[in-house]
Amino acid sequence: MRDLLLVENLTQVFGGRNQTVAVDDVSFRIPAEPTIVNLVGESGSGKSTIARIILGLLRPTAGRVLYDGTDILTPDRGWNRIFRSEVQAVFQDPYSVYNPVYKAERVLKLVIRKFGLAKNKSEARVMMEEALRAVDLRPEEVLDRHPHQLSGGQRQRLMLARVYLMRPRLIIADEPVSMIDAGMRASFLNILLDFRDTHGISTLFITHDLSTAMYLGGEIIVLYQGRIMEQGETRGVMQAPQHPYAQLLISSIPTPDPRRRWEEDLSTGPLAEIELSAAMERDRCLFADRCPQVMEKCWGARPTLGPLEADAAVADSRQVACYLY
Amino acid sequence: MAALLEIRGLSAGLQGRRSVTQVVSNVDLDVQSGEILGVVGESGCGKSTLATAIMRLLTPPQVLQSGTMTMNLKDGSAYELLRLSPRALRELRWRHLSYIPQGSMNSLNPVLRVGRQMTDTLIQHGLSQAEAHERSVAALQLVNLEPRLLESYPHELSGGMRQRVIIAAAVSMRPALIVADELTTALDVVTQRQILQELTNIRDELGATIILITHDMGVVAQIADRVAVMYAGKIAELGAVNGIFEAPLHPYSQGLIGSIPRESGQRIVGLPGEAPSPWNYPTGCRFHPRCPKVFDPCSEYEPGLRTQGSGRWAACHLYDAEVVSDA
Repeated sequence: MRDLLLVENLTQVFGGRNQTVAVDDVSFRIPAEPTIVNLVGESGSGKSTIARIILGLLRPTAGRVLYDGTDILTPDRGWNRIFRSEVQAVFQDPYSVYNPVYKAERVLKLVIRKFGLAKNKSEARVMMEEALRAVDLRPEEVLDRHPHQLSGGQRQRLMLARVYLMRPRLIIADEPVSMIDAGMRASFLNILLDFRDTHGISTLFITHDLSTAMYLGGEIIVLYQGRIMEQGETRGVMQAPQHPYAQLLISSIPTPDPRRRWEEDLSTGPLAEIELSAAMERDRCLFADRCPQVMEKCWGARPTLGPLEADAAVADSRQVACYLY
Repeated sequence: MAALLEIRGLSAGLQGRRSVTQVVSNVDLDVQSGEILGVVGESGCGKSTLATAIMRLLTPPQVLQSGTMTMNLKDGSAYELLRLSPRALRELRWRHLSYIPQGSMNSLNPVLRVGRQMTDTLIQHGLSQAEAHERSVAALQLVNLEPRLLESYPHELSGGMRQRVIIAAAVSMRPALIVADELTTALDVVTQRQILQELTNIRDELGATIILITHDMGVVAQIADRVAVMYAGKIAELGAVNGIFEAPLHPYSQGLIGSIPRESGQRIVGLPGEAPSPWNYPTGCRFHPRCPKVFDPCSEYEPGLRTQGSGRWAACHLYDAEVVSDA
């Protein structure tokens, strides 16, 4: 079966004289069967840039993105319309998406009108109410309100209701829960899980928050300075990360359990934060200067992403870019 | 020994045209010397208003309505924070009482070098240029930054380094109390961990007391000694961090702790409903419309914060024998 999304050797370089490599030769796939892929990394790791490229908002310096086998930059209006309806975005700030002048119902009405989803007004009403219930919102509580009268959680779920109307095959969600309170977060994530299980909608979930990625499960891709360091099944990676960077990242999650506190004091030593240098030598492992297990080899050439050796303790689809393996 | 900070009956609100809308209601809180007290709650629960009230930095339309706050320093002196003149307050701030507001790492002046911004305050507090420089260097070392950073401009530093500069500035006078609001919210997990560990070291080294305001239960679990859970402007529960996380008493704390994602494939419900805004705080217990354990008295009487033994306090009718037997 064709992959739903295939990202091939994506590279994005910004700037003229002082060039910044935001995305550096990144490849991954989202299979045709409904799934959730988590793209995680610190700020500046290139995760949002990848999202923008996949959505067609940014033309990559090199590489390409295939959606259902076709390059997303294909200049064909008919195909474009399909792509625009089958791939939907949810962004970080649930407030800036709305026009404050209009009532909340407008975001739903617009979609129904633009894509001709309903034959008449009453059918549109039924569709809107169904979509709202699918995201745990009560129609009477949101439709007649203005955006500022809704909470962050409600606004973000309203975006999911809009997405639901379209019945897309893929949602690109860029930090969708970082501005919602903990109590509401679970409800938002549950909706994504329901979308996958009952409606066959896949999600590319972009986040810096590893605990939400862990909750969603599926696959995980760990980015560092524009490169993939490790990828594999989320549960396996979270339990036994192999790349030293992934190990550092996962061990630094503030576990909500006061009996399992961080042991090692990271505030000093080789892991202390590196300074930003204007032009960085990229022909090496980018994590070498912070890596506790750094070797001579790491400074020489870039490690490629590959499967773990056969005798490794983990036996999943794990890929790691590290000379240790 | 008296607590470092004794807050009694503190209420603060927003001044409207005709009336004041109360945001923080009747908060009683003792902050013990040398502890890290985590104040947690959802956005809009009044935790930042509480912090600014402690600092006496409420700005209109925010108003202080009632209460007392006494700060007892180690040298035996005591200050009634709400009675101090602006001048006395200026003396106290930074020297004894330091504040790191939310997002302050982005408020460094971009056209001044870091050193100038750090020493300015110290000189204002009567130190000489040389002393101020020396103190700034020492403060930077507390957060593992090199002294040469004093010569840098803010844009040359990463987010984590800017936040460290802010922390260094805040502790440069060796204050007794540091109030930090969402200190690591904008940082990635590795930097967050480093900064929180530095903060713990600062507490140990300076013997300072820290009030850490955050929405992140994980951060609290990692570094706080005690936790105050706030809901709709009131303290719902207060106690030692282990006890609160292992056996939360208040249904709101239970919901908050229960809505933390822990494992893949294990669904959690989260907290249904939305937190009320100060304009429509429910009558009785403010949590009762969302509470899974609600019973008759909850909508009528407001529960007070009562001791539950071993340093734990909860504001819930479930733990009031009289109310339970009446119902």
